Amino acid sequence: MSSDMTLYWGSGSIPCWRVMICLVEKELSDYNSKLVSFEKKEQKSDEVMKINPRGQVPAFKHGDVVVNESMAICLYLENTFKNQGTQLLPDDPSQQALVLQRFMETQNIMDKAKALFFHRFRTKQEDWDQGYVGEKIKALAEELPLWENYLSQYGEGSFITGKDFTLADASLVPALAYLMRMKLPMKERFPCLASYYERVSDRPSVQSGWPPHWKDTPGYDYLKDV
Amino acid sequence: MASDMILYWGSGSGPCWRAMICLEEKGLSDYTSKLISFDNKEHKSDEVLKINPRGQVPAFQHGNVIVNESLAICLYLENTFKSQGTKLLPDDPAQQALVLQRAVESQDFREKAAYGVLSYFMRTKPEDRTEAMLEEKKKTCHEELQIWEGYLAKLGDGSHIAGKNFTLADACTFPFIATLVRMGFNLSRYPHLAKYYDLVKDRPSVKASSPPHWKDTPNKDTLKDI
Repeated sequence: MSSDMTLYWGSGSIPCWRVMICLVEKELSDYNSKLVSFEKKEQKSDEVMKINPRGQVPAFKHGDVVVNESMAICLYLENTFKNQGTQLLPDDPSQQALVLQRFMETQNIMDKAKALFFHRFRTKQEDWDQGYVGEKIKALAEELPLWENYLSQYGEGSFITGKDFTLADASLVPALAYLMRMKLPMKERFPCLASYYERVSDRPSVQSGWPPHWKDTPGYDYLKDV
Repeated sequence: MASDMILYWGSGSGPCWRAMICLEEKGLSDYTSKLISFDNKEHKSDEVLKINPRGQVPAFQHGNVIVNESLAICLYLENTFKSQGTKLLPDDPAQQALVLQRAVESQDFREKAAYGVLSYFMRTKPEDRTEAMLEEKKKTCHEELQIWEGYLAKLGDGSHIAGKNFTLADACTFPFIATLVRMGFNLSRYPHLAKYYDLVKDRPSVKASSPPHWKDTPNKDTLKDI
């Protein structure tokens, strides 16, 4: 029952997007959707801080149950609504292990991409530390082939852990979208990932969480040199 | 059955310690323990790379099942051995949500409290360090510690990090509190954290998996003035 669910989220927040994907996959799409403005610092409002004292989104409430941290919310949703919607965590031990691992591993992509984004975003172009930037580009350039390799083991049309859409995809696709938003040349450099991204982007749950402001504005080209 | 389990780990690695605590708690203490030397770069050996292409520990194998990423290993162990040993993830939705949240939040503790200043010291040569950056790292460290002190204060004396009982959240967080203490941090400024540390450090699973080289050498004083 999602009418007693509330999600505070912000446009462009990858962790929020993961949660929104899981909500739709678990057939909970009529949750109360509370979009906050980062510009107005609404994530630090009393309303959000009551749910998440860290003043961060996603902040989630289900009846009396509060859950923050996107990974925790996703796991909570899968565990609590195991028998409805898409099965996001397989029962088979080997598959489950793989899904849990890839799910956690996606943080590597975000950490490396965010480091680059924030440096370039917060620093004037003339002050960009080329050494630091070079280092971060290298880190991302070494991270993505791992994922290209994970995916290329499976045939055309597969998901990141094989034949089924799982928590791992819910976490990965928004991260890839973030990279694309920053003009990472995915098609040229990582064709398997590019084709996966194009296909899974059309999934209704993924579409439901697409950052609204991304549709109207271009992204920065911070990752074009990866 | 732990005889078909292998864990590659390094002494002092918090993430490895998380996995080892869970193995002990689930009654799987007779796993095959493969201690690698970071100094000899054994985490990049072919043997480890075969399990974890990232060349990182913990790297875990259970029969034919491979799991890397400490949180994934912990969740896999709890899910697969649900009915034996300590219950690391409560069934009650509200309790489970809190445990999952704190377990994921322990990454913030790790990055900001345990390693904020430490990483800065380890990665930046003394001549390149700035007072401003150090102050920022110290501030972030203390802000994070205050958050956790608050969590424990609310739960009352004798509690664990997410409630009355020892759970996944404790397995994930404790190693990083212990890291602070090891590096000479004065925890007595945070009385609830200090009491919690004393409570959990003597738990059999924690003692059994404590970093071996910590037992043989005195604590450092790297963080004594932080």
